[in-house]
Amino acid sequence: MSFSFLYPLLWLGALAVAAPVWLHLRRKQEQNLHQFSAVRFLEDAPQPRRAPLRLRDVVLFALRVLALLLLVAAFAWPFYRQAANRVIAESRVYILDNTLSHQAGGGFARDRDRLAKEIAQADRRTQIAAIELTAQPRVVASFGDDRDAMRQKVQELKPSFQRGSYLAAFRQANTLLANSLGGRKRIVVLGDNQENQWSEYQNTPPFLRDVEVTLPEVRAADAPNLALAEPHVERIFLGDKSLVNFTVRFTHQGDAKQAVITLTGNGQTIFRRAAELAGQPDRMVLQAQWEVDPALWLRGEVNVEGQPDALAGDNRVFFCVPPVQEGTVALLAQSKYLRLALSPDTMRGRWATRVIEPSRLADEVSAERDADVLCLESNYLQSADARKLMMRYLNNGRGVLLLVNRVSPLIVGALRDIGFDPQDEVSTSASFYYVYGNHPIFHPFISSDFGNLGEVKVLRSTRLKAPQALPLIFSETGDALMFQGTKTAGKLFVCTFGFDRSQTTWPVHPTFIPFLDLCLQTARAEDTTPTTFEPGELSVMSFAPDSTVREVVLRDGERELRRASVMEHRVQFTVPAAPGLYALTYDTGKTVEKMIAVNPSPKESSLTYVAAPEALAAWKLPDARNVARAATTDLPSATTLAGILQQRLWWWMLLGGAALLIAETFWATAMRVRT
Amino acid sequence: MSASSTATPLLARFDPQVLAALQGLDFKARYVMEGFLAGLHESPFHGFSVEFSDYRNYQPGDDLRHVDWRLYARTDRLFIKRYMQETNVRFYVVCDTSASMSYRGDKAWASKLDCARILAAALTWFLLKQNDAAGLVALGGTNDAPQFIRPSQRPTQFGAMLRHLDQLTAGGGACLAKLLAHAARLVHRRSVILFFSDLLEPSDNVALGFKQLRFHGHEVIVFQVLDRDEIEFPFTGSRVFEDLETSARRLVSPEAVREKYLARFDEFMTGHRELFRSIEVPHCVVRTDESPWKALAMFLAERKRLK
Repeated sequence: MSFSFLYPLLWLGALAVAAPVWLHLRRKQEQNLHQFSAVRFLEDAPQPRRAPLRLRDVVLFALRVLALLLLVAAFAWPFYRQAANRVIAESRVYILDNTLSHQAGGGFARDRDRLAKEIAQADRRTQIAAIELTAQPRVVASFGDDRDAMRQKVQELKPSFQRGSYLAAFRQANTLLANSLGGRKRIVVLGDNQENQWSEYQNTPPFLRDVEVTLPEVRAADAPNLALAEPHVERIFLGDKSLVNFTVRFTHQGDAKQAVITLTGNGQTIFRRAAELAGQPDRMVLQAQWEVDPALWLRGEVNVEGQPDALAGDNRVFFCVPPVQEGTVALLAQSKYLRLALSPDTMRGRWATRVIEPSRLADEVSAERDADVLCLESNYLQSADARKLMMRYLNNGRGVLLLVNRVSPLIVGALRDIGFDPQDEVSTSASFYYVYGNHPIFHPFISSDFGNLGEVKVLRSTRLKAPQALPLIFSETGDALMFQGTKTAGKLFVCTFGFDRSQTTWPVHPTFIPFLDLCLQTARAEDTTPTTFEPGELSVMSFAPDSTVREVVLRDGERELRRASVMEHRVQFTVPAAPGLYALTYDTGKTVEKMIAVNPSPKESSLTYVAAPEALAAWKLPDARNVARAATTDLPSATTLAGILQQRLWWWMLLGGAALLIAETFWATAMRVRT
Repeated sequence: MSASSTATPLLARFDPQVLAALQGLDFKARYVMEGFLAGLHESPFHGFSVEFSDYRNYQPGDDLRHVDWRLYARTDRLFIKRYMQETNVRFYVVCDTSASMSYRGDKAWASKLDCARILAAALTWFLLKQNDAAGLVALGGTNDAPQFIRPSQRPTQFGAMLRHLDQLTAGGGACLAKLLAHAARLVHRRSVILFFSDLLEPSDNVALGFKQLRFHGHEVIVFQVLDRDEIEFPFTGSRVFEDLETSARRLVSPEAVREKYLARFDEFMTGHRELFRSIEVPHCVVRTDESPWKALAMFLAERKRLK
């Protein structure tokens, strides 16, 4: 048993041991002792002998001895444990990476088995805990758990499709280690060291103190992989046809030559095609359109097969589109093209148009119910009622499509109120030069199947200055021709020209009806809940204040997965960990109210690794003591204060000693009062 | 004027409880001194400070207050009384602070050191009222460095003396010889030394110190402060006595040793009385269970002799 006088707790213990001795001496009563000034005249008197030690109060003596013994035992306890080889030399936390990317090459299964083996082989001087890195890192096994149970839990772990945060896992491991007993603290990462997982957190301030980190060996810089990601689907109408426009990003990493891509929708194979990958770029956007029933949910998936492919979990993506719900448009325009485009013959089943007569504007302003979208020309803004109507739509969160076909001082004032400043009129003919292709309105026009927007000409327009608006179309001359406003609660789209032949050729172009439909769909107030999630993600849905929904049920087909209660018009639930399509029903109903598509994060498909991540170096706190401690971790003096304080028995002994001292005080006081 | 004749009835008016209730050495000193003076038939201030010398013929311009009108009535001539101006004397208070001075018996109204302090303060107050100069020599507790206050007649001197007296604490072993050596070294001009001590120190150097002071021409008045327990040894029951200075212990049955103790104590006192008689040093025993006024009366008598 090693025992050092330099150990600070020894002195603390010595002080505690001295306490009862001091109490005893302090209370020692010197009977018959008289201090006198003239003892010199008593020189020949005998000197007193020490009084014989007699035990006068057994209870008092027992209390004092017991207090002494307990205190001594309490302070000797850490050393006793150390001598018996039961003090923890090392605390080790394993972070088992269970993200999708770690499934590449069977990495997860291999590391899971390795962890189970190391748990079984670890000696009793090593504390072990395990954290599973998923979307929400969780402690699979704590330091105090039984080893067999711990191993069992680890072996039961299944591969997940989630993406997790290394930072969150390290923070959790650091918290565990902060309360651990071992002199040496270590985090062992059982993962793939995916580069993008490290690079996300390079700016995190340091938080790891006195913790060693062991990273896995990187087997290959890049692994071959085929992946699908970012499915994007929209309904679009071409004449009487209801189509779906679908795009997906296809990535091939490595030396794959060929891949077979299969697209299915509502159980039917839309197409199955082999694609040659040699010489093709690493990233491609695949697009498809097909006809669907607008009244039904569209559920589909895309699958890719090819070799070599290190990661199979990212070869499928799912998507869903809700059925079309007929919207209402309030039309305040003279353009006959516009009236025709929004007539029931053209927009039946999608949009119901209510044409507002200028003579009844006042009635419309006082009407209680708004349409979904207001479509108006700027010349009506001469009227105060029209201005009021537009502002009411915008303030109520409704959509407005404003066509600036005329400018007057009153109209200029109205436009300035919504953040647009008319400059001058442009009379020269101009084509669409740039269209914001990633915007929901124009995304389908990336394909030429819906017509070429470049053929549209604008003959006369009004130049608008709108610093806070988002330009969607630019002309050849650099003038913005269409904007999306950002200042108002409702969605506002502003065209710098009217839809008349004198101003543009668009109304007679094939893209006009799809554009108008997409524009109105985008402008209408829609459900803000996304329909695409990543596995294990937390989802929050909002309901209208007058909603009567009390519970939301998440289903996989007919099977109920989980229920979540609506509280304060909001519901929160965790998205399933497995990719797929899931349905949401309300309360006890069986009707599918919503569908969600769960797809793995596209970042997990990037199988690029890093051996020495810079983020880890940034997370470590610089401390000169680290070096010295690392050299002395095997020494017996590695017993830490935190370790001692965590021993329950130590606290009981200390508490017992203190209690006995208190009892001794009361007993001694009682005895003194009696005498 | 006889001070000693008035001392006895005064003792009855001394109230130790009143003295103990007074806060501060200043008030205690005044209580002791003014109470004592109030009992005297003649004011010691007038008697000592202004002494008649002879007459001279009146000269125009002389203060009429000094004309002896009785002599004028008898002789029909104007005479002016002439007075002898008092010579100022330097007094030094020398106080023993050995640990034995801290002893206080059951019947005492103060410890020996407190008693000495109050007496010294009272005498200082009195002397300064008389336009005499007063100073102090003492040992500061366990510190060997002496405390010394130069004699002065200034009104602030009383405060300075009180401050130093108040700070005196009893402690340490035998120090009388050292104290006397310091006094002999520090006091140069012929002075009167008021020595407060219990003299419970078996050292020949003590006698040598007193002789040395006398040899230098100083007048010495010794106030030997003793407790009733030391003089009478009234204890009963077997007990252990521990010496305050040496911590030596003796297991004693007081009834058995009282006779021997008293004999030794008498021998000790006789020895000192002989010593002081031989070197012409007035010696006054002050008991802490009795009024200190007896000592004051002795002092006044001695002071008159010194004039």
